[in-house]
Amino acid sequence: MAKFFKRLFAWWDGATLGTLLQIARKGTKIGSDDYGNTYFEEKGSGYDGRKRRWVTYKGYADASRVPSEWHGWLHHMFDAPPTVAPTAHYAWEKQHRPNMTGTVHAYKPKGSLDRGGKRDRVLGDYEAWKPDA
Amino acid sequence: MTMSDLRKINIDGTEYEVPAEYTLMQACEEAAGVEIPRFCYHERLSVAGNCRMCLVEWVGAPKPQASCALQVKDLRPNRDGTPANILTNSETVKKAREGVMEFLLINHPLDCPICDQAGECDLQDQAMAYGRDFSRFEENKRAVDDKFMGPLVNTIMTRCIQCTRCVRFITEVAGVEEIGMANRGEDAEITTYLEKSLTSELSGNVIDLCPVGALTSKPYAFNARPWELESVESIDVMDAVGSNIRIDSKSGQVLRILPIINEEVNEEWISDKTRFVWDGLTRQRLDKPYIRENGKLRAAGWDEALALAADKLKGGPSRIAAIAGDLMDAESMKALKDLMTSLGVRNLDCRQDGSVVGGGPRQDYLLNTTIAGLEDADAVLIIGANPRLEAPLVNARIRKGWLHGDMAVGLLGEAVDLTYNYDHLGAGSSDLTKFMKSTKGFAKTFKAAKRPVIIIGQSVLTGDNAPALLRRVGEFAKKSGVVTPGWNGFNVLHTAASRVAGLDMGFLPGEGGVGTAGIISKAEAGELDTVYLLGADEIDSDFGNAFVIYQGSHGDNGAHSADLILPGAAYTEKYGLYTNTEGRVQAANIAVPLKGDAKEDWAIIRALSAHCDRVLPYDSLDQLREKLFADHPVFAGLGHAPGAQGAEDFDPAKMGKAGDLADYNFAVSVREFYLTNPIARASKVMAECAALSDITPLVEAAE
Repeated sequence: MAKFFKRLFAWWDGATLGTLLQIARKGTKIGSDDYGNTYFEEKGSGYDGRKRRWVTYKGYADASRVPSEWHGWLHHMFDAPPTVAPTAHYAWEKQHRPNMTGTVHAYKPKGSLDRGGKRDRVLGDYEAWKPDA
Repeated sequence: MTMSDLRKINIDGTEYEVPAEYTLMQACEEAAGVEIPRFCYHERLSVAGNCRMCLVEWVGAPKPQASCALQVKDLRPNRDGTPANILTNSETVKKAREGVMEFLLINHPLDCPICDQAGECDLQDQAMAYGRDFSRFEENKRAVDDKFMGPLVNTIMTRCIQCTRCVRFITEVAGVEEIGMANRGEDAEITTYLEKSLTSELSGNVIDLCPVGALTSKPYAFNARPWELESVESIDVMDAVGSNIRIDSKSGQVLRILPIINEEVNEEWISDKTRFVWDGLTRQRLDKPYIRENGKLRAAGWDEALALAADKLKGGPSRIAAIAGDLMDAESMKALKDLMTSLGVRNLDCRQDGSVVGGGPRQDYLLNTTIAGLEDADAVLIIGANPRLEAPLVNARIRKGWLHGDMAVGLLGEAVDLTYNYDHLGAGSSDLTKFMKSTKGFAKTFKAAKRPVIIIGQSVLTGDNAPALLRRVGEFAKKSGVVTPGWNGFNVLHTAASRVAGLDMGFLPGEGGVGTAGIISKAEAGELDTVYLLGADEIDSDFGNAFVIYQGSHGDNGAHSADLILPGAAYTEKYGLYTNTEGRVQAANIAVPLKGDAKEDWAIIRALSAHCDRVLPYDSLDQLREKLFADHPVFAGLGHAPGAQGAEDFDPAKMGKAGDLADYNFAVSVREFYLTNPIARASKVMAECAALSDITPLVEAAE
């Protein structure tokens, strides 16, 4: 029951019913990535010879969760999807990470109090006298 | 000036009458109000005439004339007898200025973006106003090796335009001849010859004088741009001169201190200690109250600290004492004096060095001749002082009088290099007696002088012999015409910024009370319960078992021996009145906020008075000042020095004590110029200067 209502009203997870309906009517499934996001392409001829491409997220809908090879396909940088023409992966490449802002893994600069670091000296700072006795 | 000295001159088509000895530049600026650009010319230095930026056209003359070097009296009238025509913005002048600018910029680097002078640079400003907008120079620019001028002055000599202002300042005003120009033409360089640190206490002024970025401040280097700074005009407390200063700060930190012009006090110079002490304002700061428990100081809250202080001030008033230090403003001393008086405490003193002056009329302890008045003196006798270290700007005035007039100087005390010639009359009290009796040499000159001056240093005003010596000098001054109606040549040279204010308000032992020496000996003998130190850091004693309350801004001697520390404000963090050695009351302003939990000093004492159930009758600084002015009207005369006022009432019988004078040598009260107070001792720059001055012998053979 909860799942049903969530599907109905929680627009921030996955795709909305309207989007799913639209994609089911007009799109074909192309593949999915490691996160479980699913990618679709328009069945018809598209606009100006360019077929529309879609992603439906698994879980929280966040554009930064699209890995780079699918991002390239989604934005028409590649004609063929990674399932057909996988992009080359190198040893020095880092694993794709979604945007961590707002999570505990968010980036904290050196000196951030959250990181427990000491901030650099700035103007207006002073050295307080400390009694040694 | 009489009318016959005036000459007619026609500037830009309008006729003016100006004094004959005016230069064309003065005539143009003061009479006609025309701005003449210049680099090398400076009002307080000799005329060099080498930058050629001040060229004006003298109609009929074959070439443009350097207006800084040509005097009005040297101008010939026109053929028809009309006054000479001077043009300041003709086509010729414009072309001449553009040409000079172009030559200057040929060898000037285009490094304004990394130059500390940018934004307040004469060359930058004048290139905008008078220069061409392009360069025809396609050769290589010259480069010059940077010179070492010590820890204060940074040199980037490629930027130098050879105006020689620094050379003239160091030679004429500072009097040490340590900068000069070497080589000729394109190879000309400003140099310190031997790559050694400048030994003058006024060396920082060359930074202000330099019209470009060749000489900049080393401690301030790359810290800020001039347009980011907030400026506040205030008063310096490093010595008793009361130099007028501008405190520049950014984000609540003082980043530089510059002089502002006060002809009667510091002209437009300040000493290096005044200028560079600011890094001491961020070190060793007392930022919260501390209470000593079981031999260790622990941080405490204000309520707790003030309650403890009030508790310790409850005992018998005869077992309590208070000493005010050297950097204190008049208001906080007044507040402490009022509190102590209401408690019945009589052991008060503002003379932590144990000096004997004060108590009598003002002229017994002021620099009565006034600093500017020293220039007029024709014979100066210095007793037990080294004005070069005790008050560098007073020394610069004496040097000015000596250099430009026919002043003779005699020194009794340690033979030191004062930057001018003097007769060394001996080192001790017997030589003083000898001098008073003598009729030969300097004594003859002095006794025949029309405007003689005696300057007494702090060192001879302390110790057992001081009262007798003071009386003798006073009597001698009266007898030998040093003090006559209209001229008061009796001078006490103070070294503490707060001292004269303290003496003026009578922050002195009351009936049956004891002074600093008595407080120390009584405390060490266990006869005192509580000693209140208001910023007093120069006392070499731990006050025995007495409970020591220290109120001040820096953790120094006072804080180390204290049982209770009340954090106060440094001179840049509070409004305050300071009376300089001439008796001139001047107001200091707030430049930066207080540090941590510290409070303004008068407010601490006001809060303490409430804890003592002796609430002081003022709730604001204005009310406190009103009370101060009502009780001691001299404080209301802001900016005024009494000078020879009341000299006819000068009475040596009130000074010191009659008695026998032992035979002893005079000491010097300021030995380490750069380390005379807690702020300077907290400064790294001052420490560096002190270390350098130790290896550079200041004492050279006197004449």
